[in-house]
Order: sequence, then C-alpha cells, then structure tokens
Amino acid sequence: MEQLVKELKQHLIEELNLEEITVEDIDTDAPLFGDGLGLDSIDALEVILILEKYYGVKLSNSAEAKPIFYSVRTLAEYIEKNKK
Amino acid sequence: MSCYVKNIIADDDVISDIKALIPEAAVRRRMSRILKMAVTTAVECCGNIDNIKEIDSIVTATGYGCLADSERFLRNVIENNEELLNPTPFIQSTFNTVGGQIALLSKNHCENITYVNRSHSFEDALLDAYLQIGIEGKERILLGTFDEITESSNNILERLGAFHKGQKNGEGAIFMELTSNYTEACKIKIEHIEFSSNVLSQDECINRYAKSKEEKIVYNNFTEYGIYPTVSARIFYEFTKDLERDEEMIFCNNYLGMSSSIIIVKGV
Repeated sequence: MEQLVKELKQHLIEELNLEEITVEDIDTDAPLFGDGLGLDSIDALEVILILEKYYGVKLSNSAEAKPIFYSVRTLAEYIEKNKK
Repeated sequence: MSCYVKNIIADDDVISDIKALIPEAAVRRRMSRILKMAVTTAVECCGNIDNIKEIDSIVTATGYGCLADSERFLRNVIENNEELLNPTPFIQSTFNTVGGQIALLSKNHCENITYVNRSHSFEDALLDAYLQIGIEGKERILLGTFDEITESSNNILERLGAFHKGQKNGEGAIFMELTSNYTEACKIKIEHIEFSSNVLSQDECINRYAKSKEEKIVYNNFTEYGIYPTVSARIFYEFTKDLERDEEMIFCNNYLGMSSSIIIVKGV
C-alpha cells in the first residue's frame, strides 16, 4: 500500500504539473480538492485518467467519486480494491 | 484620429519573475511554454495584472496559436485510440487561450478578440485596435502577438523548403499598449494601415506611400528575426525602437509573397 501511495503521488505531480511540490510534500490523508492540495475540477478529470491509464481502474458511478477522491489514501484504497 | 503606442515590449524584455507576474500557482502550472511567454509579456507590458483591469479591449494575433498543446492533444488522440484524453492540452490548444488567460488573470471581461489570419494577423489586429480607438472611442487597448516553434513544425517547414535562402525558424511574443491619449510615454503614432491583395514591390511602396525620398521603408526584413507568421510584429518592435520625433517609417509586409500589408508610423 505504501508503495502504491508513493507511486500515486508521483503520477499526480507529473500529470498535474504540480510545480515545486515533491512526494514528501503531499500529505496522504489531506484533502486533494479545495483545501489541502488545492486541486480543481479540471484536475479531477486528470485524476480519472490517471486511474484508468496506470491502473486500469474505471470510476463506475460518478456519485461515488467524492469519498474516493478525498485524499491520496482513499484513492489508493479504491485502486487496491478495483485494480485489474 | 490619434492612436499612439504607449509601451511595446518583446518576450525577451521580461525581467520580472514569473511568480510575481502570475502569482496563482494553479494557473501557472497548467501553462505551456507559449502561454507563459505571451502572458508574462502582456503583464510586464502593463506593469502588473491590476493595470490590465483598466484596459478597454484585448486584441491578440497569432498564426499558429498554442501549437505545442495542439500537438500534445492530437498525439493523445492517436496514442490513446481516441480515449483517455487529457483536458488541459485540449482546453489550451485554442488560438484565443492567451487572450482568455489575460482576461481570467486580470478579471477584465472587456472585448477580447484573437486574429488568426496567417502572416497578416498582426496587421489585422492592429487595424482592429486602431478602429476601436478611432470609431468606438476606446482609450486603452492591449495588443499582442505570439507564435512558437515546436520540433514537428520545424521539421515540416524544413521539409517544405521554408528556410532555403538562409532563413531560420522564429518565435516570440510582442505586446503593446495602444492609447488615444498622448502622454510622454508615447513614442510612436500609428498614421495609416492598409492592405493590398497585390504584392507590392519596394519601389511601388515608396512611390505610393513615401512623402519624401528620405522616408525609411522597412520592406520584408525577415531573415534576421526568423520565419513565423507574426514576425512582422517583431520587425515593428525592432525598427520603431529608435524612431525619432517626426520621423516617418513605412512597414511593408508581403510574407510568402501572397499580399501586402502596410503600416505607416510617425515618431512623436
């Protein structure tokens, strides 16, 4: 799980062009959107692409997105559960 | 009708730190190279983002637009079999991204138009700004041009033989503030803009537009500044740097030999 968390943070930094942010700077349990990392709706689309592109995980029900996209840890847990 | 150039700068004149010019990190991180180049030039031209709020109209011009983002988007379409397309390069691949970003950053929702008219995009944008000042009574207009080189565009142009006479590829951003009100900061007055569907020779330009034999004419000086659609804005910037008071200068652009556009300026 820890390896997946680290890898996920790396993908977020690269795909979202998070300048000046390192893996260590991202709090695994902090909110990704709004406060915390401060991502926005365009980033949400990019995160969906990260899940699909790197882990083959599709978000089947968009209503479930809010708790899944809460933090790096919730994302990693969802990937673990649904990874092909 | 009076239309003065209050301030004109090129992207290589930008000395301020990008973080000072574009403080929002979330906006900055999505910007491609051409966006950063053009938007920082626009902000530096006006001094800071707050000053852009006072602008009455934003007019931009480009031949290629945000080419790298367009290429990235198309590459994604091919590589990912038309699925899993990243939104950012799609959003930012439009020609009016620079004008839009300036509006978003400054929260200035004034008239905002982008001209994408090949090699006379700059002249068309300038004519629009000139008419907005002369006919619509606008006082301050931010006008800018931008184009970028990418590896693939360079390869294509090379293959087409575009650099056959020692010319080189080029890119850059130029921004200027146009105003109806003369101040000491104004060094250039736009006297006349004209388009001709015929390609005018240098002699024809002189006979038609020069008031005297001493009048300076800048005729297609492309080699030094590279070949790109908005290079005429760079030439305008370079040659008006040392324009003396009351001196007139005629710019004739017939890039690619398809038509001619004429700009006549006077030092003030």
